[in-house]
Amino acid sequence: MAMDVTLIINGTEHTVSVEPTETVVNILRDRLGLTGTHKDCCMGICGACTVLLDGKPVSSCLLLAAQADGQHIRTVEDLESDGHLAPVQEAFLRHGAVQCGYCTPGFLMTATALLDENPSPSRDEIIDALKGNLCRCTGYKKIIEAVEDVAAR
Amino acid sequence: MSDCRYTKATSVAEAVEALAEADGEAHVIAGGIALVILMNERLLEPTWLVDVSGLDELKGIDETVDGGLRIGAGVTHDELEHSPAVTRLRPMLIEMVTEIACGRIKNKGTIGGNICLADPQGDPPIAMLALDAIFRAAGPGGLREIPAREFFTGLYETALAEDEILQDIVVPPAPAGSGAAYGKFAARRAMDYTSTISTGVELVRDGEAIASIGIGLGGVGVAPVWAQATERVIVGEAPSDAVFARARESVFDTVEPLGDALYSADYKRHVASVILKRTIIEAHARAGGA
Repeated sequence: MAMDVTLIINGTEHTVSVEPTETVVNILRDRLGLTGTHKDCCMGICGACTVLLDGKPVSSCLLLAAQADGQHIRTVEDLESDGHLAPVQEAFLRHGAVQCGYCTPGFLMTATALLDENPSPSRDEIIDALKGNLCRCTGYKKIIEAVEDVAAR
Repeated sequence: MSDCRYTKATSVAEAVEALAEADGEAHVIAGGIALVILMNERLLEPTWLVDVSGLDELKGIDETVDGGLRIGAGVTHDELEHSPAVTRLRPMLIEMVTEIACGRIKNKGTIGGNICLADPQGDPPIAMLALDAIFRAAGPGGLREIPAREFFTGLYETALAEDEILQDIVVPPAPAGSGAAYGKFAARRAMDYTSTISTGVELVRDGEAIASIGIGLGGVGVAPVWAQATERVIVGEAPSDAVFARARESVFDTVEPLGDALYSADYKRHVASVILKRTIIEAHARAGGA
């Protein structure tokens, strides 16, 4: 049975009619055109669909829109402002931490949450924070170095 | 489009009422991790979701009057991991929860949801079996206490009635002279979704001897396993090669792991016995002797 929910996405309220079983990743991509959040395993394993729910990283593929009613969701589209990339995005470019790019939005959001909470994480803390995100291109080294670079600045 | 009802419960009583009305057709959703995976996999098409996330009655971690813990079923793995009371009173639970998936999952997944899923590879059930915790279920008649050791009845089956929800978990105080440890074997730590083997141990020492022991085994059957038979071959003995050989034999005799794409059933028995030995040695050292 359809129901109205209000999601506050990147600071903007969106009221959408959803089925109780619909997930946020599908609402973002198919209904709101926010395709920066990528969809892959749909099992909470790969991390490509990571968004911030009230500031904390969660899998948007496992998040029912009904359960997120009234809550703040931050997606990768919110990282740049006024045409300027966020420092973490700049660092990913500088270090070549992006190859095919499919996993990148998830890594960026996980790294953003880490850096928001702890602006100067150790290498071990970075590795621990990113352990739930899969990348099949880079071998992780450049991603970790990019986050270390932001932490060092 | 699905034809699913959705009830956002505002109290445990309201959730129980909805479950009673649904007469077995509803699914309780909290963090949504396991349930939404099943929905995404098309293994489950719910007709009624009863949402218990955010219920105050399911929140909070408190020290009980006797020095044990009351953990709300809706406490997230992340909340448990960062609880000062748990760190102080039951550090084994911290050791256990750090082994669960990754931050993204821990921010949403709940201890109670994990226990009610009763996955043989879940971590909280194994720790609760070792610690002899009590689960308190809320139903139409009020609260009912179910020992963890009687809770896991079969493949994804529990002792909960269809109109009951898990309200909280009561962990008894650590006995004098006791030590506890948690061990886990996983192909990829952050993806403990596939084959994992885990062991939870709490033991009480009398000198070098193990006066009593509680053992939970994960990933070695269709449900979380309370290893009662293995406990019996260990009690009264000091750790030794002979005792561990008997414990290993007992594990091989009693558990029935499901072989899978990664590991055969016998390999899982082997790993379980090795991890169990290591966990017992660790718990024994922590108990420090009396």
